[in-house]
Amino acid sequence: MSKALAARAQQVRILIAAGKAAPTPPVGPALGARGVKSMDFCKEFNARTAHIEPGVPTPTLITIQPDRSFTFITKTPPTAYFLKKAAGIEKGTGRPGHETVGTVSLKHVYEIARIKATDGHLKHLRLEAIARTVVGTARTLGVEVVP
Amino acid sequence: MSFLRAVHRTSRAARLFQRSYAADAKASAAASSSAGAKDAEDAPRSSCPPNTVLIGANYLKNQPAVLALPDEDYPPWLWTILQPQELPDDGPGGKAEKVRLRKENRQRIRDQNFMKTQ
Repeated sequence: MSKALAARAQQVRILIAAGKAAPTPPVGPALGARGVKSMDFCKEFNARTAHIEPGVPTPTLITIQPDRSFTFITKTPPTAYFLKKAAGIEKGTGRPGHETVGTVSLKHVYEIARIKATDGHLKHLRLEAIARTVVGTARTLGVEVVP
Repeated sequence: MSFLRAVHRTSRAARLFQRSYAADAKASAAASSSAGAKDAEDAPRSSCPPNTVLIGANYLKNQPAVLALPDEDYPPWLWTILQPQELPDDGPGGKAEKVRLRKENRQRIRDQNFMKTQ
């Protein structure tokens, strides 16, 4: 029982534009600091996100083993990104609840919820529940949801 | 926040009232649904007419444009998600009580934290 503890696997969460991973910051230092060859990661990431429109922010979770090998998971783009695109705005409001910067229809919300439901960590939720979370995100952005 | 809740409450009351005239409201709502969002908030019909292009829903390459379907093609719960959920009262230990207690506890913590800053 006096074996030295093996180093834990580390996890890095990062938002990368699909198809556009490059060794430059922010990706380079974040991975390089943990011993991962960023070129390898970028090639594999770009290959895996080839089916996504380039430039769409894609959250990824990279798990780095003690022997510097890595695996990663990509998830669906952030809900805020979809809502901002649907409402045609660049940024959400600085004063949610007081200011409204855009409107979105319930049908938009339904489609966004359908996309999010393909995500692995949401597949146990009913579509109605996911749609309600999208409405919640719209509220914090200052986007009004209209039926 | 409570003002917002009051606004939602009144529109829901108006909605319930209007549902009793479903036969007439449907015809007029369909005609005016493309005219404005004000009417649509009263009846459970969308302000988004069918076959409008939904902009936010495309993120895959070469994905055909996502179109809005007619209102009937959407599940019925979609029109209720803007209102807070009504939980039936299951008596002590039931889900409604848990949600209520959780809400009260969190509000109490917020109030206490605020008072500590005063």
